[in-house]
Amino acid sequence: MAVPTLTVEHVTKRFGTTEFGVTAVEDFTFDVAEGEFVSVIGPSGCGKSTLFHIIGGLTGDYQGRVTVGGETVNGPHPAIGMVFQEESTFPWRNVIDNVAFPLELRGVSRAERLERALHYVTMVGLRGFEQRYPAELSGGMRQRVSIARTLAAQPKILLMDEPFASLDEQTRLLLGAKVTQIQQRLRQTTLLITHSLTEAVQLSDRIVVMTFRPGRVRRIVEVRLPRPRGDDILTSPEFGRYVAELWVDLREEANRGLDAAEHLAT
Amino acid sequence: MAAARLRLIAAVAIMAAWEALAASGLLFRDVVPSLWYIAKALAITLADPAFYRNLGVTSGEFLMAVSVGGLAGASAGLALGANRFLAAAYERWVHYLAPVPKIIFFPALLLAFGAGPGSKIAMGAISCFFPVAISVASGVRAVRPVLLNVGHGFRATTWQMATKIYLPAVREPLLNGLRLGFGVAAIGILLAETKLSKAGIGFLVMDSYRRFDMPGMYALLILVVLLVAAVNAALTRLNRN
Ligand SMILES: Nc1ncnc2c1ncn2[C@@H]1O[C@H](COP(=O)(O)OP(=O)(O)OP(=O)(O)O)[C@@H](O)[C@H]1O
Ligand SMILES: [Mg+2]
Repeated sequence: MAVPTLTVEHVTKRFGTTEFGVTAVEDFTFDVAEGEFVSVIGPSGCGKSTLFHIIGGLTGDYQGRVTVGGETVNGPHPAIGMVFQEESTFPWRNVIDNVAFPLELRGVSRAERLERALHYVTMVGLRGFEQRYPAELSGGMRQRVSIARTLAAQPKILLMDEPFASLDEQTRLLLGAKVTQIQQRLRQTTLLITHSLTEAVQLSDRIVVMTFRPGRVRRIVEVRLPRPRGDDILTSPEFGRYVAELWVDLREEANRGLDAAEHLAT
Repeated sequence: MAAARLRLIAAVAIMAAWEALAASGLLFRDVVPSLWYIAKALAITLADPAFYRNLGVTSGEFLMAVSVGGLAGASAGLALGANRFLAAAYERWVHYLAPVPKIIFFPALLLAFGAGPGSKIAMGAISCFFPVAISVASGVRAVRPVLLNVGHGFRATTWQMATKIYLPAVREPLLNGLRLGFGVAAIGILLAETKLSKAGIGFLVMDSYRRFDMPGMYALLILVVLLVAAVNAALTRLNRN
């Protein structure tokens, strides 16, 4: 096994006071090796985004440690590129300028950054929409702009929080295939946060299954499916077995989530 | 179209009423001069180089005031909106001072900047500062946190955050604040000019009043209203693009 480039060590995060509050993430430990594709999966509200913000260096005030290349993360790390769960395009920038944003911050000349941005715009299938503004795009297209923007920064570690959640099933599969393609070609270290079982199995080398509140590591599953994983893999029996096995874990956690909600309601 | 016709009817009605009042002799003749005299005074004023000189003085004061006050207000608004600590410390002051009629500071400004344009610019700048600062500060707070996270995630510097995220994100509240700011700056400057000055449109108005040149005074008022309306229309245009 390759050296871990990203480690999360005993991370615990509480919101609110000691009496009133939630432990969003508790004693969370896992790592991602160089070139590896890891997914974190868990039901809604289990603390995935919280974990995402902690790894991205955007949330302080937690216990434990996150390291990148051996260094403790203290604020946003240059090796990490983030794709957010919420819609995050800049409404005042057109597609190409949105994607060129990280290059602009680094002082790359206009001609060069537009050229490089165009490459990623094309990659996510938005060629021809360069001059459009986010308001003129669909939700899924906007999400692809965010993905292209983060890819344009060429991060060593790609960190994505449910980037495909707003996409329809077809686009999700196609874009998922695209992302794995890029990931395999660049040997891009990737951490994907998701609640989609098929997405996790299709894309990952390993899957971290989270428990519901507090968010802990329930299990880490290694996906031993051959690569490249084309569409045919989706119908293979091994694929089905992984999905079914994960579903058992996830159903239990999701049920606890629903029970908790019902409990509050009554 | 119907609205425009309604406006026209109202304008004609007001002018007719004015003319009737002037002709009735109910009021002292010079207080409500016939529209004819006002039109004549308007022509005289527009042909008078002194009018343009004074207009230049007021415009210069106005431009200086809104540049200084607008820039200071925008910066203060950004700082207050983005920094919770600064907001906790100073925002109260801004809100307390905002509704205070700024003319009460005029004597102090006269002492500090003299009777010339300096004190008028200061009046305008102070007036412009508050609406811009308040509008920008609340605009900054309404910026979606995820956009800030994107900036931080790409490790934007404070300056880059301000110019590439906050500023474009608060464009609309900034323009609205500036619009209010321009209005109160014009009020502040004209008011200051009518109090104590040697030049400017406010000075001209008071001067014609002192000489009891009522048609001339009304002509000036009409011109001021037209100018303010023109500036406002230009800003509305800017806001839309
Ligand atoms: N800023 C915050 N203040 C207080 N509580 C918070 C905050 N952010 C998240 N939480 C709580 O922490 C828990 C985990 O939230 P989180 O957003 O990490 O869930 P998630 O797994 O990303 O859910 P989803 O799949 O719906 O996006 C939730 O109970 C939420 O209410
Ligand atoms: Mg989330």
